[in-house]
Amino acid sequence: MNAYDDSTAPDGPVAGPADHLGFEDLSSSLEARFGAEGGSGQWSDGEFSSWALASFKHQFSTCDPYRAFCVARGVTPESVASWEDVPAVPAAAFKYFDFLSAEGREAEAVFQTSGTTRGGAVRGRHLVPALDLYRASLTPPLRAALLPDVEQIRMVSLIPDPEEVPDSSLSFMVGEAVSRFATQMDWLVGSDGGWGARSSEMLDSVRSAGEPVLVLGTALSFLHVMERGRGGLAGLPDGSRIMETGGFKGVRREVSRDQLYAAITEHTGVPTSRIVNEYGMTELLSQLWEPVLAEGLDAVGVHVPAPWLRVRALDATTLAPMPEGDDGILCFFDLANLGSVSHILTEDVGSVMEGRVRLRGRAPGAESRGCSRAMDDLMSAMDDR
Amino acid sequence: MIGRTEVTAKQLETRIAELRSTRDSLVRRPVEEIVDVLGSVGERFLEDADPIRQRALAALPEEARLSSAMAAEVLDGMARDWSRNQLKRTVRAEFGDPTALDGFQSVQGRSVAGIGPRLCVQIVSGSVPGVGVNALIRSLLVKSPTLLKPGFGDTLLPKLFVEALAEVDSDLADSIAIVEWRGGSEILERIALSEAEVAVVYGSDETVAALRALAPPTTRVLGYHHRVAACVIGRDLESAEIESASDDVARAIAMFEQRGCVCPHVVYVEDPADSGTGLGVSAEKFAELLARSLRTLEEVLPAVPLEVDEGGSLQQLRGAAEMHAASGEGSLHHGGAQSSWTVIGESSTQPGQPGPPTAYRGVRVRRMADIGELGRAFGPHASHLQTIGHAGLGDRLESVALMLGRLGASRIVPIQDMSFPPPWWLHDGRGPLRDLVRWTEIEDSSQLELNR
Repeated sequence: MNAYDDSTAPDGPVAGPADHLGFEDLSSSLEARFGAEGGSGQWSDGEFSSWALASFKHQFSTCDPYRAFCVARGVTPESVASWEDVPAVPAAAFKYFDFLSAEGREAEAVFQTSGTTRGGAVRGRHLVPALDLYRASLTPPLRAALLPDVEQIRMVSLIPDPEEVPDSSLSFMVGEAVSRFATQMDWLVGSDGGWGARSSEMLDSVRSAGEPVLVLGTALSFLHVMERGRGGLAGLPDGSRIMETGGFKGVRREVSRDQLYAAITEHTGVPTSRIVNEYGMTELLSQLWEPVLAEGLDAVGVHVPAPWLRVRALDATTLAPMPEGDDGILCFFDLANLGSVSHILTEDVGSVMEGRVRLRGRAPGAESRGCSRAMDDLMSAMDDR
Repeated sequence: MIGRTEVTAKQLETRIAELRSTRDSLVRRPVEEIVDVLGSVGERFLEDADPIRQRALAALPEEARLSSAMAAEVLDGMARDWSRNQLKRTVRAEFGDPTALDGFQSVQGRSVAGIGPRLCVQIVSGSVPGVGVNALIRSLLVKSPTLLKPGFGDTLLPKLFVEALAEVDSDLADSIAIVEWRGGSEILERIALSEAEVAVVYGSDETVAALRALAPPTTRVLGYHHRVAACVIGRDLESAEIESASDDVARAIAMFEQRGCVCPHVVYVEDPADSGTGLGVSAEKFAELLARSLRTLEEVLPAVPLEVDEGGSLQQLRGAAEMHAASGEGSLHHGGAQSSWTVIGESSTQPGQPGPPTAYRGVRVRRMADIGELGRAFGPHASHLQTIGHAGLGDRLESVALMLGRLGASRIVPIQDMSFPPPWWLHDGRGPLRDLVRWTEIEDSSQLELNR
């Protein structure tokens, strides 16, 4: 079936979904569209909008809690004129509701948010009915950000193997990177984050091979490795690169990004210009990448969304869009979330300029505002994955 | 005397040495004299015309991020505890005969003296104004030179207190040092903790754990970790009391902008009895009343506008509750975009299912078929329970209080009194002064014989 309708957009012919498509058709059409993409391009407003409105129509018709939410707000697919008007679900709602928009299709994977270490905290979960669509959305941006110059590379991961942690979307992403782009892969840590028995040996082999590697890890995992001492990731071969993701939630002593990257550089020899930050969350299947490998150090602090992911910074009180470059709470419309819900309001703070995001870190000292536990819990209610 | 910026390690060591040198004269002063001096200083914070109070009121709103009206309310409530009368009562409540802090006294045939720490380090985090002054007063009352690291939103009141103290009693003021550093500065924290005989830490569970880990085994660390408070409305509530109960709950929620450990985040409402007694109130009705009370209260005690990250958290809280309400699970009341109160009425009676946490004058109202369910409701939070405000428990008060106490609660109080415990309160179940003191005894062999 031809899923593209070239005739409707006001700003000229655009590719978009035809009317009244079901999940299977929409999903396979989007999959094809994602695959045709380099991962760093931009979709026209018209094309994005037509996909977004089709996604909303689909999600409204198939996802009960989402439809109830929209109806209570008086919004239906017929009443919205633009994707910005589609009701955005608060990310926290993933803790209480299963959003599945797949016309009876079961979830192929269930990804959990990491949850906090505090007792009683509820973990959110994201049901994914079509892993093929997810895979199609993962690879082009990942490749553009991490491998703009090579086809394949040897990899080393501080993030556990997806076979051991099937409910982690981050592990899934790494697993996908491996299956597409790795010449060889060494998993250094187990599902509990602990150092594997053979990991030091594996790193010795990386060093002696002398071939550049891509090291994938979270900020915390890099800290742990560096604190271990005894070799660790020291002396990585020239041309190596690093993907770092995730913050320091739940850790009292925060390390700034500059401090962390300086320490990584000192430990591994990989310069800051080859350390790429990924920003993502379980509730969003698409990611944002800091394109330092493609664009150099000017790109530090700038995150580029996948072409099918749009970001807005909203006024925290009124939810009105902020002017370009002003901080607000970030709200995402992710077409890769077709099988759940696409429009998601987070509590992350940042600004948007020409579609690119600058995240604002949490203010120092914000850790403690009172002696009430509920307050403390709320401040960390949004989990990493 | 007053540190304005973060200290260096060298400065901290010097300040501690200076503090230590004040102890000899401090311990020779009668406790009643100390009570008198501290109380006279504390009373200045309540005198309308006093420049100390005026300066406090002028600067508190910005530092603590409170509206002027809320700042005045908080200052009044906290400073009430700092008067001569209240401090006298505190020392008596804690030690019976306060001269037990001045030398040996005979207590039930034993000769004992209460000794304050050689150096007391008080580390406060958070922005509940007045906690720092409370901390200072406690350790001075037991004659301990005191290093205070105030919470970042609570530096003003302790500084003013010490300034006013220096005007009337510079010796006593010299026994206090207020120093600031950023929480997590391990080098400074290690120095302070290793020099202290007793360190009192107010903060999140993580902060208390981290500081405990830094302290040597010879330093006694008293932790006041984060706590939860709640309200319980029983079915014996008279209909004439319902509205005032709702107003009281609203006030308890809003005070300190809900940052305090005494601020409730959940209200359990027991189903009214079936018979036509007219007693009790339904949870649904109470949620509506509470929304009205919070709306009215906001006019008298406004909140300050939220920061962007706080606004983001509030959107999550309200958004998740909105989804529940849209799916027919409970209700949501809030004051709109420019207002910071939120009432989430929960239809679920399953205590094990935690709703979204609340903040910014947010509260969940949950129905309970019977008060006996409280144990199950609070079970998961037992180690964090503290204050339970009550209304309508009738003659079940004592049995319910005992059940809650056995679970973990330390303070069962009428709702209108939740916000400001008296200075002698059993803070997290422990005597505020007794906890700081160690005892020295002169054993008497004739007494030993008698006791055999």
